[in-house]
Amino acid sequence: MQPDDVSRVLAPALGPKLLAVEPFAGMAGRVRFERGAALELFPRVRDDLGFRHLSMVGGIDWVDHREVFYVVWSDAAHQYLLLSTDVPADNPRVETASGVWPSANWHERETWELVGIEFDNHPDLRHLLTPDGYEFRPLLRSFKLHEPEELEVKTRHV
Amino acid sequence: MTTPAPLLVSKPAEPLALGVDLPMVDQPAVPFIEIETLRAKEFIPAAKEALGSLIAEQGQAKVIRPVFNWAGRNSLFPLHWGLACCAIEFAAAFGARWDAERFGVVPRSSPRQCDVMIVNGTVTWKVAHKLITLYEQMPEPKWVIAMGNCATGGGPFRTAYSVVPGVDKLVPVDVYIAGCPPRPEAMLDGILELEKLIRERKE
Repeated sequence: MQPDDVSRVLAPALGPKLLAVEPFAGMAGRVRFERGAALELFPRVRDDLGFRHLSMVGGIDWVDHREVFYVVWSDAAHQYLLLSTDVPADNPRVETASGVWPSANWHERETWELVGIEFDNHPDLRHLLTPDGYEFRPLLRSFKLHEPEELEVKTRHV
Repeated sequence: MTTPAPLLVSKPAEPLALGVDLPMVDQPAVPFIEIETLRAKEFIPAAKEALGSLIAEQGQAKVIRPVFNWAGRNSLFPLHWGLACCAIEFAAAFGARWDAERFGVVPRSSPRQCDVMIVNGTVTWKVAHKLITLYEQMPEPKWVIAMGNCATGGGPFRTAYSVVPGVDKLVPVDVYIAGCPPRPEAMLDGILELEKLIRERKE
């Protein structure tokens, strides 16, 4: 599967909300989309293109904005596909993918607690790796390494 | 006080049938010793009476405490859990090569059967309250060994966002073992240090 094949299926349905489909690192392509189009895009990627397995969800802090990406896998094509969208840093919100791929649940919990991306309509947005009540977003570039004592006071919960 | 019957019965020594003239053949062999358990019925009341008079004479702390300390330090049961790479060395110490069981150290899988918790690895804040729960489930008296640099002070992850900078922030630690990870010999040395502490325990 080539980027053109992906674009041929997705472009008629999404229209201008599909920003670009680019070649990317041996994958089937990199789909850049408007964040409002998430719920229209995900079922089409799963059903029309056949990417039935969500391999990972992650977030990147680009300082002026943040990026959420989804890596999906197709058994039939034996290929990965990267879906990525930009969210503003002051309102990092995107619709959850866990209704389409249930495995997104824990990945989005991790992305939420480490990069601070808020996932709307997520069924169970709790801390996964960090303790409850942890107020830092450690994978943001604004996060500085703390003195242990300083961090300890803020995270003491036991 | 009746005199208890002798407890030891010796078998006559048999000459070794090796066909070789060894120098030890003419020596008296070590007698085969067998304890007759039936005579414990007679022995135990007499021993109780003797111990009772000893306690009355010397005071309970002086007599009983060394016995408990001796029993405790020779049967240290660590909690069988592994947090990180130090647990590999911890496991190796119980293998055939180092054989920590010769010191009476047997890892147990339930905290209610343990008296020493060996924290072997990086403790994160996420697992901190589980560590405290396990510690509180252990019966008194109990001790904690911080094994390796991570448990001692956070190690190379000290400034990380999720690591407890030393397990002594959570539970009282008796013995610290340095190393990243410590060798099994170092872990056994730490256990022997703990045995010295228990030997001096007064109350």
